[in-house]
Amino acid sequence: MSVAPRPKPFLEPQYCKGCLRCIEACPRECITPGSEINPATGLVPVELHLENCNGCTLCLQACPEPYGLRLETDPPAPAFAPNGDFELEDPAKLFGERCVANYSEGDQPDDQIALPACEPLVLKGTYASAIGALLAGCRHVFGYPITPSTEGAELMAKILPKLDGAFVQAVSEVAAVNMMYGAGGAGLPCMTFTSSPGFSLMLEGISYMIGAEVPGVFVNIMRAGPGLGNIAPEQADIKLACRGLGHGNTRALVLAPSTPQEMLDLTREAFALSFRYRNPVIILGDGYLGQMTGMVKLPPTMTRPGLPAWAVWGDRAHRHNLISSIALAEADLETHNQHLNRKYAAISACEQRVECHRCSDAEVLVVACNTPARMAKGAVEAARAQGVKAGLFRPITIWPFPIDTLAEILPGVERIVVVEAGPGQLEDELRLALSHAGIAPPPIDHVRRCGGILPAQSAILEGILQGEEVLS
Amino acid sequence: MSAFYDHFSRHAHGEGIKARSTHYCPGCGHGVAHRDLAAAIDELGIQDRTVLISPVGCSVFAYYYFDVGNSQAAHGRAPAVALGHKLAHPEAVVISYQGDGDLASIGLAETISIAQMGLPITVIFINNAIYGMTGGQLAPTSLMGQKTSTSPDGRVAAMGQPLKMAELIASLDGPVYVERVALFSARERVKARKAIKKAITNQVEGRGYSFIEIISECPTHLKMSPQEAEEWVKTKMEPVFPLGVKKDLTVEPWFKRGAPSFEPEAVLGLSGAERLDEDKPRTIANWPDHLPVRDIAIKLAGSGGDGAQTAALLLTRTAISVGFDATAIPSYGPESRGGTSYADVHIAEQEVLNPAASEPQVLVAFNAPSLAKFAPTVPAGGLILYDSTVVTDPGRLPAGRRILPIPLTRIAADLGRPMVKNVVALGALQSALNLLPEDSLVATLRHVLHDKPALLPLNESAYAAGRAAVESALAPA
Ligand code: SF4
Ligand code: SF4
Ligand code: SF4
Repeated sequence: MSVAPRPKPFLEPQYCKGCLRCIEACPRECITPGSEINPATGLVPVELHLENCNGCTLCLQACPEPYGLRLETDPPAPAFAPNGDFELEDPAKLFGERCVANYSEGDQPDDQIALPACEPLVLKGTYASAIGALLAGCRHVFGYPITPSTEGAELMAKILPKLDGAFVQAVSEVAAVNMMYGAGGAGLPCMTFTSSPGFSLMLEGISYMIGAEVPGVFVNIMRAGPGLGNIAPEQADIKLACRGLGHGNTRALVLAPSTPQEMLDLTREAFALSFRYRNPVIILGDGYLGQMTGMVKLPPTMTRPGLPAWAVWGDRAHRHNLISSIALAEADLETHNQHLNRKYAAISACEQRVECHRCSDAEVLVVACNTPARMAKGAVEAARAQGVKAGLFRPITIWPFPIDTLAEILPGVERIVVVEAGPGQLEDELRLALSHAGIAPPPIDHVRRCGGILPAQSAILEGILQGEEVLS
Repeated sequence: MSAFYDHFSRHAHGEGIKARSTHYCPGCGHGVAHRDLAAAIDELGIQDRTVLISPVGCSVFAYYYFDVGNSQAAHGRAPAVALGHKLAHPEAVVISYQGDGDLASIGLAETISIAQMGLPITVIFINNAIYGMTGGQLAPTSLMGQKTSTSPDGRVAAMGQPLKMAELIASLDGPVYVERVALFSARERVKARKAIKKAITNQVEGRGYSFIEIISECPTHLKMSPQEAEEWVKTKMEPVFPLGVKKDLTVEPWFKRGAPSFEPEAVLGLSGAERLDEDKPRTIANWPDHLPVRDIAIKLAGSGGDGAQTAALLLTRTAISVGFDATAIPSYGPESRGGTSYADVHIAEQEVLNPAASEPQVLVAFNAPSLAKFAPTVPAGGLILYDSTVVTDPGRLPAGRRILPIPLTRIAADLGRPMVKNVVALGALQSALNLLPEDSLVATLRHVLHDKPALLPLNESAYAAGRAAVESALAPA
């Protein structure tokens, strides 16, 4: 019985790096070091003498180059002109259907599933946020326990296995954010609950997510710092979220809820924004809000997420895709940054959100967000009761700062009072936004507490009435 | 080889020779391992399903070459990224390809913790005993005495001794298959190929986590020819990193995950939501005219076991159920372990503005320290209700406040359960304030205890006893 001879190797000299690993691999001494420099590569390719070759392929297994040694049955490589352009003999064959850009079938859209009307829930902020995420279609939560955010993760750990979702308690926040990079890169909504020190650890991963345009939602229940600080509420990560999301040109929408209801609504919305812009979204709550129980009404629908065309899902339709934050050539990275800048500009233009309470005729404008905004609202009412025209300007997005609305209000305002449970990071955002917009503001005073103490309504009222720095 | 792109369009934009050659140095072991990996993907027919995680290191650009789904991870985090992909799409075949700096140094925590989780992913570890990408620095796997740019006089013990990752991973309970292989001879390369294929097969069949360590050549930073590098790996590395199977469990396929559920009933049920029942009789309360404010702040304070938090939540729930707005904020953290535990409740006709109760109109104090601490914060006209069983000497309380000493603990004890003193307090509060509609709190009790009906009569009695105590205290003598 005659056996068809096995195919033998062949070499396209320009793809051989002359490493000689194949020589020792060949039991029949078919390969010898070359003697001529290849003009295209400047390297010396080996030479094949295949008289004794039995097609054992051991030389192929030794070759580090995918297109170094190959079998004669493999298709030949396309030829390349010295200037780097291809000679397109047969484009379809050259690229193969695997390499066609936009090979994917396009986005599979989300479904909105109607929910029956429900009684209002009575929930604490972290739980409300978790339920908001469930209703946004999030079934993948990655986290590391840290007070005062852990209850959100605990609720997810309880619920998700029953919905065939996944909650993973990672070895650290660093691992957690990178699990998000994976699940988000696969095109699914995912999130974490964390608090300030943990958020610091996640910043590297957030930079990668922004660079690679991976969506994901970060709920940071801020606590007091620096360092280990304590676990009481402080608005001390505004700087990190607005200005310091890891290295490089990074920006993310920063949402600041002030009620358990908003914890649900804004978490839900954060997922939509995150996918709309292919960018992480940060929710900054404070320890008070995370623990605060209040009334929460459920929305009329739940999202069943589709799958975006860009996802690295692990099927044929998405095989061409790549999630990566590398652009090795400087020009490529500049182009990528310009693309990101256009995205940031679109977010700045379209996503500013604010609640204005009694702002239309306000002479003293209180600027506050999160729980301190509620104390401030109480103080504004108290000031009004005393005949002082006070108003509350409550940014719901801190980045982008709602400067457009502020610009409309400011002409009638005589004084701004920034109220913060923190060292002045909201005021920095306000001043930066004013400065970028070229607006000369009226005098800016502030009422600040930190270390975990919230400004009391009475102190804010005093700040409104007297226009003095009450505490810094 | 179809698992490689025909054309490396990501490599320098696929121009010229780079369209078909790698960025690796001549003779680099990465290229050999790539061919093994590609062969395994081809033979198993899983190209469409494969997701390859590229690390940081010389193989950072593995995604240039493999025609599969690709994700490029931060330094050391590839297994975490791989896990994210695997959980997002369990049908995907996820391969984390990493070098020694990535896997055994900066990513050690991810490497070990994810190996221990044991979910079916495949980790390919290229150990070439040196940092390649950053230019020849000491690696966690560099040999003793090995000279690198950061160990110019050779590695000594104080720099750490070579980490034997395959043995370390094999010592964990999570992995099912761990093998160390090499590339320095035809024989070893055949074994390497088999090992990689088996490691991926374990994943495809849902058997578990597999780890293949490949001791490999970095001729450039060893400053050797590829042949010398092969010899060095064989004679110097192999004795430190012995080849062979380190762990191989026979495990039946077990990994199977259903698609996540989006059933409204399931999600709402688990969220604790209840269908709106239009026919359910409901009390919509009007704000009581006798109260001077439209937003009332109540502080409940005691020690850890007094039930102040539960009482606060019952109050909040009841207020919301009758159409008011309400909030409750606990003191939490170390404060609430042992020491005082207090809760701030606000109930408002429209919207609770400030949820803190720094100057509460109502104080319910379960012990003397709480009374002493918070009584001075109650403004004139406010109400101070305290447990007179526990607080026998209230000291001097501020004038101009209604003071109600009620023996909460004794009443509860008389009912047989001192624990229900918080519900006694709620009854007392209701009679003292008349804030919420008659019996709305009992409705809340019924609701929250619907799956513990045995506790209901006790709680109802406690509530009634609290009310009676205040009514008799207020009754004209
Ligand atoms: S196929 Fe076998 S015999 Fe032929 S050249 Fe290669 S190693 Fe030698
Ligand atoms: S192993 Fe490949 S790259 Fe190296 S000399 Fe042989 S053919 Fe050329
Ligand atoms: S530096 Fe070493 S590991 Fe990196 S590509 Fe070159 S030979 Fe390979």
